[in-house]
Amino acid sequence: MHRAVATLLLVVAPLPAAAQGIVRGTVRDKDGAPISGASIAIPGTTLSTRSDLQGIYRIAVVPAGRVRVYAAALGYGPVDTIVALTGGDSTTVDFSLAPAPLALPPVDVVSDRVPHFGDRPATSVGQVTERDLDRRAVNTVDEAIDHVSGLQMVNGQTNVRGSTGYVQGLNSRVLMTVDGIPMNQGDRGGINWDLLAVDEIESVEILKGAGSSLYGSAAFGGVINVTTRDVPTGLHTRLRLTGGVYGDPPHPVWRFRDTPGMLGGADFSTSYGTDVAGGRISLGDRHSDGYRQQDQDDHLHFAGRARWQHANTRVDFSGAWAADRYDVPLSWCSRGECDDEGQVFQPFKVDTTERGARTDSRKGYLAARVRTTVSPRFAWTARGSWLRTHFVDVRHTATEFGIGDRFGTAGQIEAHPDSARTVIVGVEATFSSVTSDIFGSHSQSEFAAYGQSDQRVGALRVSGGARLDFLAVDGGSLTAVVSPRIGATLNGMWRASVGRGFRSPTMAERFVHTTALGFDVVPNPTLRPETAWSFEIGHTSPPLLRFMRLDAALFWTEARDLIEPQVLLIPPDTVKIQLQNVVRARIAGFDASVIAAPIPDRLIATLGYTYLDTRRRLAGDSTEGPLAFRPRHLLTLGADYTLGPIGVGADFRLASRPARIELEGFVDSRRVPVKVLDLRAAWKPAGGPVEVRMLATNVLNYIYNLVPETLAPVRTVTLTAVWTH
Amino acid sequence: MLRSLFRIAVVGLVAAGVAGACDGGLEPEPICARSLVGLCGTVRFRGAVPANTESVFIAAYLAFPQTCTDLINNRRPVIPGSVPFTDSIAPYSVSLSPGAYHWVLAVWKKPGTLTLTPADTQYLRVAGYYRNPADSTQPGVVTVPSGAATGDIDFVVNFDSLRPATDFVTCTAR
Repeated sequence: MHRAVATLLLVVAPLPAAAQGIVRGTVRDKDGAPISGASIAIPGTTLSTRSDLQGIYRIAVVPAGRVRVYAAALGYGPVDTIVALTGGDSTTVDFSLAPAPLALPPVDVVSDRVPHFGDRPATSVGQVTERDLDRRAVNTVDEAIDHVSGLQMVNGQTNVRGSTGYVQGLNSRVLMTVDGIPMNQGDRGGINWDLLAVDEIESVEILKGAGSSLYGSAAFGGVINVTTRDVPTGLHTRLRLTGGVYGDPPHPVWRFRDTPGMLGGADFSTSYGTDVAGGRISLGDRHSDGYRQQDQDDHLHFAGRARWQHANTRVDFSGAWAADRYDVPLSWCSRGECDDEGQVFQPFKVDTTERGARTDSRKGYLAARVRTTVSPRFAWTARGSWLRTHFVDVRHTATEFGIGDRFGTAGQIEAHPDSARTVIVGVEATFSSVTSDIFGSHSQSEFAAYGQSDQRVGALRVSGGARLDFLAVDGGSLTAVVSPRIGATLNGMWRASVGRGFRSPTMAERFVHTTALGFDVVPNPTLRPETAWSFEIGHTSPPLLRFMRLDAALFWTEARDLIEPQVLLIPPDTVKIQLQNVVRARIAGFDASVIAAPIPDRLIATLGYTYLDTRRRLAGDSTEGPLAFRPRHLLTLGADYTLGPIGVGADFRLASRPARIELEGFVDSRRVPVKVLDLRAAWKPAGGPVEVRMLATNVLNYIYNLVPETLAPVRTVTLTAVWTH
Repeated sequence: MLRSLFRIAVVGLVAAGVAGACDGGLEPEPICARSLVGLCGTVRFRGAVPANTESVFIAAYLAFPQTCTDLINNRRPVIPGSVPFTDSIAPYSVSLSPGAYHWVLAVWKKPGTLTLTPADTQYLRVAGYYRNPADSTQPGVVTVPSGAATGDIDFVVNFDSLRPATDFVTCTAR
């Protein structure tokens, strides 16, 4: 006991200033060009930073003596060096990184909630880099992450290894965090992909597998952590203009307008920063005619971010607000519901009774975060956030609205008792409320405490931890959920993990009272949390034949009390729909990804494949069937070729036809496999302020749907010009 | 050598993907194909589908049948195809000889082997029929012209109200 207290005091106690120094310098590539966003760290301590747009970095409170400094960036090989640092002095360490397209991601934050530099996580993590976002010239984050192996967006809902399936706007089994702050809606639990402008985003990490041991509810199937761009020093301005055109229906009998649909937008951001403080504001506006009838969308957003650094403390503020007014195409037109021109269905047209339907949506968030690095061995972080969503659905039959708030606060302590061990403990409290004519007025409180220890023993790195969550709805009794996890990596190449995930029912799921498909949807306040055990074994190969690298994983999830819509047949002829805990489910499978650079510096090719085997069993029924909306096969292929300022690339995405959909028999069950080819080209002169990108998605104009009676996007060609100062 | 093989493999995979993407998507589905001689329309389904449902098919009669024997022997087409019944609506088309058909109906069938004798009626129920637009209590008459099809023959099937053949005709054997 005395030894533990002594160790704690040793860890917490700040070092005297005389025993500290500053490490500063630059990170550049072999041609001397600055590398922004590179990670620089003193491994085994709380000390790390990222390089700014000029490649400049600075780390304070570094203990004097011989110090190991690590630098790495995506697409470059890591560099480790040891420098001698005198107390009260500063040392300059300039890094020159060599391109290494097969290099593993330099830092992993999402899997352990603290950054690990050069270490591989025990659970699979996918990554979308700033370069991926740039070259895909996408407008929202979900468009970019759709290409990550094992991930599929189903009409805006996120499936990590088949986790979520699809229930229109009522839940998500994947948690989204922005710079570590949970951002799922307070009322519906969904994710607002358009709240963040894509220009604000530096990278996205996707934890594949249960993350509830650290993140709690909603991290049932995975976590998506979005890292936003820091505010660099100096004055910086960025303007992004986008214009494009939608393809016409490929068959004349499906035509619904005389002129092609257009889309366009502008995003502007400017920032100014010094070593002490900085801020950025950005705003953007977009309009889209849509690719089908009644599909217009007008989007406006503002965002801001500020940072302040004093001694060992850094404070960050961020916020965003977005307004959308979009027409709602609802379900496509079936025979007799519109001018069907003698067709069984008209996928580009809508039911005439739904003409004029639209949704007005407002959403915004404010967040603040304080981090104090007390010593190289001890740091604490506190944060608070508020997320609001407000929608008004205007229909002929009714006008519905909902206002959801989510207030969150958290504290976390990070300790490194020695260079081989990391310990984190934290507490969280979340209060969510909803006021709506379809969900009623309700609230939900969540309180949690978690802890995790990470220990390196030779080539083995073991981590273990648990989280205890208490949930209360409308001030009622608390429900407790325990979520443990243990994981290990060997030589950074082999990994294995076991963890428990859970998801608390959203207030929308418990209390929804509306109509869908012409039937009443009735509330179910007695819903219980979903729980699941997830297992994974994976391997990341060293470079094979010097030009390719393979990553593969076997995964297995056993879930209980999954919440799915059920049809209630009430004699003699009443049909109602209710969400119920009815399903035991298994999601097992295999995913693999290959990255290859057969022509160094020029050609990079990627392949991702996921095989999903799902089973569901209703309570009291021994028959089994597949889970709805889960394709058995997911395949992504990508290739990029760069020659000087010119770059061209292609992506192909295939998903097999799901064997089952929800409410089969009550909706048009027509569905086909997904086969989408995207092409892109870029012109980006080295060091120039302007770059131009062309993106053609679904170039073959393959007509398909992911959910019943809802057409997926058709061929769209966009041209994007970015000016950076 | 290996790099060349890899490049060939990449090009091959992309080409295979592109070729594979050229077909298989959603296509227009005319309710009445141009070549059809007969009638076509949609069936809207109501009620709960019975667990022992084997199929639902469309049949037509030039004259309203009077007996069970008429019901079996005068049915057109003699061996009908099934209509998808798991959705709320299903298009159908039936090839028929030109003429005026006095009863166009949907027939529900439970498991059992049909023998084209009046005994078949034990497996069959009348699930719904096309009604006279002027008097919905009566069956409608549909004329199939020579060399063309008649469309918009739409009617409702109610699984909660399946009626035996004896509600419509006289049967001596069931």
